[in-house]
Amino acid sequence: MQNVRQISVFLDNKPNQLTGVMKIFKDAGINMRALSLADTKDFGILRIIVNDTDKALEKLKEASYACTATEIIAITIPDTAGQLSRVIDILGAENVNIEYLYAFIGKSDKAVSFAIRVDDNNHASDALLKGGIIQLTENDISEM
Amino acid sequence: MERYWNEEIETMSREDMKKLQNERLVKQVRHVYDNVKYYRDLMDKKGVKPEDIKSTDDLCKLPFISKADLREAYPYGLLAKPLSECVRIHSTSGTTGKRVVAFYTQHDVDLWNDCCARAITAAGGTNEDVCQVCYGYGLFTGGAGLDGGSHKVGCLTLPMSSGNTERQITFMRDLNTTILCCTPSYAAYIGETLHDMGLTPDDIKLKAGIFGAEPWTEEMRRSIEKSLGIKAYDIYGLTETSGPGVAFECSEQTGMHINEDNFIPEIIDPDTGEVLPEGQVGELVFTSITKEAFPLLRYRTRDLCVLSRKKCSCGRTLIKMAKPMGRSDDMMIIRGVNVFPSQIETVLIEQGYSPNYLIEVDRVNNSDTLDISVEMNTDQLSDKVKDMQKQERDLATAMRMMIGITPKVHLVTPKSIARSEGKAVRVIDRRKLHD
Repeated sequence: MQNVRQISVFLDNKPNQLTGVMKIFKDAGINMRALSLADTKDFGILRIIVNDTDKALEKLKEASYACTATEIIAITIPDTAGQLSRVIDILGAENVNIEYLYAFIGKSDKAVSFAIRVDDNNHASDALLKGGIIQLTENDISEM
Repeated sequence: MERYWNEEIETMSREDMKKLQNERLVKQVRHVYDNVKYYRDLMDKKGVKPEDIKSTDDLCKLPFISKADLREAYPYGLLAKPLSECVRIHSTSGTTGKRVVAFYTQHDVDLWNDCCARAITAAGGTNEDVCQVCYGYGLFTGGAGLDGGSHKVGCLTLPMSSGNTERQITFMRDLNTTILCCTPSYAAYIGETLHDMGLTPDDIKLKAGIFGAEPWTEEMRRSIEKSLGIKAYDIYGLTETSGPGVAFECSEQTGMHINEDNFIPEIIDPDTGEVLPEGQVGELVFTSITKEAFPLLRYRTRDLCVLSRKKCSCGRTLIKMAKPMGRSDDMMIIRGVNVFPSQIETVLIEQGYSPNYLIEVDRVNNSDTLDISVEMNTDQLSDKVKDMQKQERDLATAMRMMIGITPKVHLVTPKSIARSEGKAVRVIDRRKLHD
């Protein structure tokens, strides 16, 4: 199973920090598929999934941003009650620890996608496969 | 094979050096007493006459002179020669109060250049070298001192002054610079810029650097040596005594040889003024025995350090001073604990962080706060907040081990802390302790 790369960018917790990143993406024609921002008093970590990860990393590094790519799991599930609970139960039963997760809009308005950061990607991926949960590849996301 | 600029002086026996110092000191005390009313009054008040000073053993009878005296006597009060015989003025940065000006006769400039020539030679410099001076030129003594020393040695001298770092590197490459002279913080910045330009130490011909004018740590030395592919030598001096070249480092890199034929050092207890025995930490005091225009006797430098006469492998017999632990006015007293910025710097470099940092001290509800902003290390970036917060906590713990109190550490984005091209500003103290 091919995991999806998420880009994390370190930003100071001050006004106008996101603008710089957005401008780089705009100029390079990079489209964001998913975004989540974790913040502390001092700094924030911007987590994004884009349609062209390599190009985005290259452009960010050129502009001296502290950024890194992490493999995460992306899934798509029907947009109905109880679906996320099913996913979490599958992972919980296998003792997979979820560090964080965030939702994003998928291809269809009847489905919703999630980026899930776990402590063991292979283990989680196998469990989800067995549990019948559809996982997305980086290619799937870039073609959304 | 160790090279000396002035082998006779630099390897002179202790007895001969003491004889030379005695002769010069006796003459100098007479010169100052006769020509500087300000110091004559200090001596009279203490009941000391020039004839009481017969050798360096009598130094302790003389009154001290401090920065406060220099400010009070500004601008001409300590001048010992008519202005018609003076050819140069230099001045301190004036960041801690009123400026201090120092005067030089041509003879003073020549002796000063000679001291810097010794430093450049000890760093391996000869007339085959290309010496790039990126200390500020102007009133600051850094540029003029190393420039003069470089000319004396016969190096091809690049009088760059500071700033425009990419251009510095272009010149360094195009003209094959072999020796770099600047502040250690600027050397670190040049190293960083070199790497940002996609270059490595193999792309430049530098072999040595002579860095001074601000306190720096052994860890910073190793980090600069690595990033520029050089051997880094320390140099020490103050505008009040002439400028850089009062003391300089040799290949052993274990302290700086003091040019004792020009400056007699003493270490005193900063509180009582008592002279301390060799090997004890105290405030460094200098007596200029050759300067004509601005000869300070027993000038208190406020630098805390140790002197040593241990035999040096370079063959020089000149007494050595350890790297100052910090100027006593760099020292912060936070929650009653003495803290030097150099201690913070040591921890940062040990832990793999950039030596660019900002210390902010404040007082909130009658309690001191210590905040240290540190540029995060890109190699340690994690997508998990808890990992990043752990880095902050680990750094704070490492600092507590070093300084005894726990600071608040704030990770900030790389390169967001202003780089310095001269003396770096590392501390902002917002406590209003003197109102």
